[in-house]
Amino acid sequence: MNAGLRPDVSPLLGGNAAMGGLISTNTFWTLWLFVHLISALGLLGALTHQAMAVALPVRKPAAGIVSRFRAVPAAGYATAVCVLYVITFVVGSFIYTQYRIAIRIPLEARHYYKTGGFFDFKEHVAVIGLVLLPAYWYFWKNAQNPEYDNARKGVTLVLAVAVWFLFIVGHVLNNTRGFAS
Amino acid sequence: MSATTTESRAAQRTSSLASSRKFKAFATTFSISGPVIYCLIQYFNYPLVTYWPATGRLGWGYEGARPGAGPNMLWYGWTVTTILIASALGIVAMIIPERLTKKIPLWLVWLLPILAVPYIVYSLMYWWRLAAR
Repeated sequence: MNAGLRPDVSPLLGGNAAMGGLISTNTFWTLWLFVHLISALGLLGALTHQAMAVALPVRKPAAGIVSRFRAVPAAGYATAVCVLYVITFVVGSFIYTQYRIAIRIPLEARHYYKTGGFFDFKEHVAVIGLVLLPAYWYFWKNAQNPEYDNARKGVTLVLAVAVWFLFIVGHVLNNTRGFAS
Repeated sequence: MSATTTESRAAQRTSSLASSRKFKAFATTFSISGPVIYCLIQYFNYPLVTYWPATGRLGWGYEGARPGAGPNMLWYGWTVTTILIASALGIVAMIIPERLTKKIPLWLVWLLPILAVPYIVYSLMYWWRLAAR
């Protein structure tokens, strides 16, 4: 091992010591991955409700489960979506350091190039989603203003597609080399 | 309930930030310029910082490969640079007259992220070439 390498960063680098003597390094990163997953699930649910509400608005009182899914008060989700996106982004940025060493290097060694490429795709899409949040929040907080209807619909659908993409790529990557690997 | 009452209630529900014209200029300029700036920053490779996950070192600007230091990470630097430049443009938009910022088409907020996708796919050609071997 090279001098100066962080012992906690990866089992591949020889570090599998307990974090503060309480949990192992693997458990530490697995817990953060779990926090990332839970916040991503909340974000996915809220944004999918909103996207359905703007793409297929309900004009009659909701009857079935699909109509009720579309009939949520979508404006109320805007702040929660922004908060969840930022939490998911920050936690994902934190565990990215571990990914770069403990996941990506073995992926490349085993020629999982498409998986690695899609993860890089995911990181770029995540930043683009992040910079859309101020306008997204503003349009939803002014939902009573018809001037913003099209922009609000467009940015919500783009964000929803982006978050689904981020979630699916993250899920596939986790299956390739994630929990307990 | 009269239409006036409904409108006034809707207006009351809007926070001061959400009803601010200056915030609108900031938010729309930030979100429109953000995807473009990110693609440019990534293309010209101008990260504010370079992070070395194996050593925990954080260096200013771009730092290339160093023997024994492990891989470098530029994504944090690209992200921070993008946020700073987009914020600066947003602040400029708050300062300039509203008659100018009102002319910015709002559909750019959702169109530019879509247009960024082909460039992102192209920028990852390194991976796709390796995968095609």
